[in-house]
Amino acid sequence: MIGLWSLPLLFALPLALGILSLLAAPAWRPRLIFIGLPLMAAASLDTLAGLVTAGPQVYRLGDWIAPLGINLVVDGLAVGMILMTTLVTGLCALYARVYLRNHPTSTSFFWPLLWFLWTGMNGIWLAEDIFNLYVGLEVMGLAAVGMVALRATPPALAAAMRYLLAALLGSLAYLLGVALLYSAYGTLSMAGLQEAATSNATTQVALALIIVGLLLKTALFPLHAWLPPAHGGALTPVSALLSALVIKASFYILLRMWLMLGPEVTPDFTAGLLGVLGAGAVFYGGWMAWRQHHLKQLVAYSTVAQVGYLFLFFPLVTNTGPEAARLAWDGTLMMLFAHALAKAALFLSAGNLILAVGSPQISHLIGISRFRPMSLFSFGLAGVSLMGLPPSGGFTGKWLLLHSALLSGQWWWLIVLFLGGLLSAAYIFKVFRMSFREGPQIDRSVTPPLTLDVVALLLAASAILIGLTAHVPLHWLRLGMAFGAV
Amino acid sequence: MILRAVFAGLLCLGVTVALGWAVLERPAPVENLPERVAAAMPESGVEHPITAVLLNFRSYDTLLEIAVLLLAVVVALALREAQPDRPEQMGLDNPLLRAVMAWLLPLMLVVAGFLLWAGAHQPGGAFQAGSVLAAAGVLLRLAGVTADWLDNAVLVRAGLALGLLTFLGIGMLVMLPGVPFLTYPAAHAGTLILVIELTLTLSIGLTLLSLFRLNPPYADDPDDARAQEAPKP
Repeated sequence: MIGLWSLPLLFALPLALGILSLLAAPAWRPRLIFIGLPLMAAASLDTLAGLVTAGPQVYRLGDWIAPLGINLVVDGLAVGMILMTTLVTGLCALYARVYLRNHPTSTSFFWPLLWFLWTGMNGIWLAEDIFNLYVGLEVMGLAAVGMVALRATPPALAAAMRYLLAALLGSLAYLLGVALLYSAYGTLSMAGLQEAATSNATTQVALALIIVGLLLKTALFPLHAWLPPAHGGALTPVSALLSALVIKASFYILLRMWLMLGPEVTPDFTAGLLGVLGAGAVFYGGWMAWRQHHLKQLVAYSTVAQVGYLFLFFPLVTNTGPEAARLAWDGTLMMLFAHALAKAALFLSAGNLILAVGSPQISHLIGISRFRPMSLFSFGLAGVSLMGLPPSGGFTGKWLLLHSALLSGQWWWLIVLFLGGLLSAAYIFKVFRMSFREGPQIDRSVTPPLTLDVVALLLAASAILIGLTAHVPLHWLRLGMAFGAV
Repeated sequence: MILRAVFAGLLCLGVTVALGWAVLERPAPVENLPERVAAAMPESGVEHPITAVLLNFRSYDTLLEIAVLLLAVVVALALREAQPDRPEQMGLDNPLLRAVMAWLLPLMLVVAGFLLWAGAHQPGGAFQAGSVLAAAGVLLRLAGVTADWLDNAVLVRAGLALGLLTFLGIGMLVMLPGVPFLTYPAAHAGTLILVIELTLTLSIGLTLLSLFRLNPPYADDPDDARAQEAPKP
């Protein structure tokens, strides 16, 4: 079996490093990344190599067969998420090592939390068992809440508490749905459920609970209220990780659940409703982002908006032709990956700008373009992808979604794509307008360490690059999915 | 405000009705999982099906759940360090309480040991035993008994991590013959599970106790009446 060693390493290694970094002295905690990151990169790449050479696989933990034991599934989607997580988390870790130097020692608990977060995320990407997904959500969610609370200021603690309550409510709704499904079908394995589940009251109520719980955790409008204070108020690398990766985990589970049961079990209007909520998120989030005065709050509301695009997947893939469904799948995943890279870049470069001017206010950025061009360039590159301008990943994703909408005759989603892009342009240019305005001619800004700028730039460049080379990842992502060969 | 309460009430009512409907209408399971568990019991290394599910068939879930427990303490440690005022000496200086404690403590330790041992063939196991250990620790603290080693950060952290680290280490070590993660060899499954349970008991007990000890002193709580008596600067 390929990846026999590297696959368990994907969650065992970050777990071990999390424990070690808890035991290590604060000064040693960040240094563990120099062992951890290369190993994680190697394990992720080996999993990709296994997928490309041997195709999708099932890994049986404890060597027990599925309904009795827990299976892991290695398909294109899972491997794609693992690679993205490695890239974004790795770069955020390099950023955090430099960023946290000027913070109190209590923030060195970031490191154990980071490794636990990684464990939870990789656990979710690989899971094939709906209860195991719940446990993964708890590991990831609690680590994320802890990271938000790291600042330990009253607003940070309030945001963390709110986040915790929202996350717990979402998890419990999900768990209730899982319990109902288990009581009705006697299995927790996704493959088993797909075979056994039929359309009846129990399945419908269970799926409704699961969907609502996951929507709350994904912060889809109108269940988004916990997100801006949590993401906008956290330490910069934490904001980047939460916006880029953590909210994608609950969306990922929703995607898998929908492909497993959704169209057969739910009433016809469900997919449309999810699309409408997504459209609402795009408009409301974009509008609120434009109205913000704090730079990181603006970026956080931009996440509320961008999450909306992902939900166009549901109406575009349900009861449409195979070609439209495949385009919707490709487009949604491209949006997901482009957003992860671009949003991480946007938060990190926003953090750099805040470090430079020493204030989170957008109005204090006046004249900064003259002195901190590199931070602003990363911000702009990431903005290009969020606005959906060519040749970025955001553009490719929107283009694919647009084609899917046209093919399936659902032209009204085009309005969402176009107006959403305009709104993104409005809030991105709001920052640019301020920073290009002529201000004082003397450079009063602090120069952030070069690493911080380079990491942000790398992420922003990846968001552009993924649009140029989209066909390669999209081909891998289809491995093992129903949208297989064209 | 009333509107909100009415809305919340209707929502709860709706969810309750839907749940009731879902439970009453549920189909009979096609898959008989208890039967599969029973069939696999001889290979599990223990005699009680719940322990077999928790520590063998679905041990990966348990591993991650222990990680959640440890994570909770990590967050508590981080927050405690951010507000470095020491917790005040807690406890009632009551000779009667101490006398009762002297009777209760050995009993609690024996019960914890029994629960751990019982897990192999009847309900019990690391979680239950760990909770009893933690309860003993909480009682000690309430009685004002201090233990120096509990203030030794390195020692406490090592104790907290012990269970998870052992579990993870065994999970990786058994892979050496080329089998998947957490595949215990059938001949040694019982011993390995006992080692894991033993270390987990200690770590779970310490985890729960640490969560109690890391709780901020009452002066941090604005709602506490005693905090308001304190002179304001």
